[in-house]
Amino acid sequence: MILYQTTFGIKGVSNVTLSVGDRVNQVEQLLRRVKQNIDEGRVPAKIYNDPDIFELERERIFGRAYIYLGHESEIPHPGDYMVRYIADDNVIVVRDEEGQIRVLFNCCRHRGMQVCRAEMGNASHFRCPYHGWTYRNTGELVGVPAGKEAYGDVLDKGAWGLRPVPRMEIYDGLIFASLDAQAPSLNEYLGGMTWYLDLVTKRTEAGLEVVGAPHRWVMDANWKLPADNFVGDAYHTLMTHRSAVELDLAPRDPKFAMYGVHVHAGNGHGLGMISAPPGMELPPFWGYPEEVVRALQRSYPRPEQVEVARRINFLHGTVFPNFSVLNVMIAKDHRSAPTPMLTFRVWRPVGPDRTEVWSWFLVERDAPEWFKERSYQTYVHTFGTSGVFEQDDAENWRGITRVARGLMARDHDLNYQMGMSFLKRDPTWPGPGEAYPLDYAEANQRAFIRQWCEYMLNEA
Amino acid sequence: MVGISEEVYREVRDFLLREAELLDNGSYRDWLDCLTEDIRYQVPVRVTRDRGVESEFVNEMGHLDEDYVSLEMRVMRLETEYAWAEDPPSRTRHFLSNIRIEPGDRDDEVRVKSNLLLYRTRGDDPHYDLLSAERHDVLRRVNGQWKLARRLVLLDQTTIGTHNLSILF
Repeated sequence: MILYQTTFGIKGVSNVTLSVGDRVNQVEQLLRRVKQNIDEGRVPAKIYNDPDIFELERERIFGRAYIYLGHESEIPHPGDYMVRYIADDNVIVVRDEEGQIRVLFNCCRHRGMQVCRAEMGNASHFRCPYHGWTYRNTGELVGVPAGKEAYGDVLDKGAWGLRPVPRMEIYDGLIFASLDAQAPSLNEYLGGMTWYLDLVTKRTEAGLEVVGAPHRWVMDANWKLPADNFVGDAYHTLMTHRSAVELDLAPRDPKFAMYGVHVHAGNGHGLGMISAPPGMELPPFWGYPEEVVRALQRSYPRPEQVEVARRINFLHGTVFPNFSVLNVMIAKDHRSAPTPMLTFRVWRPVGPDRTEVWSWFLVERDAPEWFKERSYQTYVHTFGTSGVFEQDDAENWRGITRVARGLMARDHDLNYQMGMSFLKRDPTWPGPGEAYPLDYAEANQRAFIRQWCEYMLNEA
Repeated sequence: MVGISEEVYREVRDFLLREAELLDNGSYRDWLDCLTEDIRYQVPVRVTRDRGVESEFVNEMGHLDEDYVSLEMRVMRLETEYAWAEDPPSRTRHFLSNIRIEPGDRDDEVRVKSNLLLYRTRGDDPHYDLLSAERHDVLRRVNGQWKLARRLVLLDQTTIGTHNLSILF
């Protein structure tokens, strides 16, 4: 085992000379450290920037978990398709002529060229530009140029269709896929989180629709940082988003995001639901227009969901590993009243220190037009590529990623202890999961890290 | 360049260069003075489409979709002590070229197209981001001064290669 190398007479640890075995040991050691220390609320910063950890994540997290690909409303018509990713795997999400949604690996069966190079469109067939193999939008191979001459009668077209991803399931319009054929059902995977997703997806009969196309941008930050932020971090709003508080885009009280319920919904999924701060009046049901509020009282599956939603003004959450939801009531500018808006996120990992953000804006299809417009403006001004809240989040996640690159980060524990000793579960909470009566808490973040650890150590 | 005098061309060019200078120098309040109160400022999302499709731009969704009040809000934010994304500030450089001017829909307006190369760097990181775009502007003469009444920024990237758009085009 080569642990030390002498270069110019200086002894030091160098990744370059570590053998593969050493590197595996180092990752294993780090993961054991995470697993041991998480119960004490300690997490080494290194997990937020390490090439070996990242390699293992690609395999053990993104090769197994359910990954959000998009919303049904993005491909409403037969033949509509969109190209999406599961980490590095490029897939076509397409609605076939019978209306069925399929997720196909974007890779020709002959020599592996991408058969679809636009990001979205409408097609009855996908034709590979390399040799012309042509597939129906079901994935079925229907055309092989000069097939008779080149293959005689031996090519079994039925066996060489575009390959569907091993698992694809849809929950209320949300399209998820897993590369693991042994993955549990999506319902089992989402577990208690569906009860909370319903609050967002089931407000009206017609349900949600994506407006336009997602914002996509890359940031030099690790994918787990935004996932951690959305899963439970109400605490950051008081400093990160202080500018928005000063401009009256959010409630005047910088600690407004404390006054909520913090829920670990199981399997690493978590969310927070924030209400009006004491002494402040905020409208019920996020301030949605009366048409939507009337609809949700009929549309939610359970009466308890209506009661929970009545007190929500701000909702944030993450479905493990990298799908997040933000549904908040904020103002589009300093002269406007707060308006609810909804955004979905995918934090697509592209490197240990690089994430591609996918940010969708959604609104109820049957909401009044004036509201859709206003909610859209609120989204663009506050979140998404240029949003004044979003901008400052990116700054923090980049900085953390940057310092986590070094050697000190390996045994440099970050504090994950918020709420650990004194915040007690609320036994009266009507929804599933473990609920805490304060959103300044880190139970969700700890649960997320535990789940991450289990996947990484192959114990999930 | 039918209907555009040399003088107008020079004035418009000078306006665009001065406006770019204000942005690069962080003189945002002075920049706001370059805008009409009814300005519409849009940076639509772009999506890769097959050649046959008329436009890659998504009208319903912008990276920025602003009016005067929201641009003012962005400037006010930078004036708070908590605009972390721009404190320390990005260093930007707007490079303008290929300026083309046509008569506008109104007598007091002109339509201006320009190419923009926007350089951005932050902190001590030697890496930089480059954003390239075609801008479609409408300039209006108000009390003898040119003002920006409309800006449409047609970006060349579909996935934006910088960590946020806390900068302006």
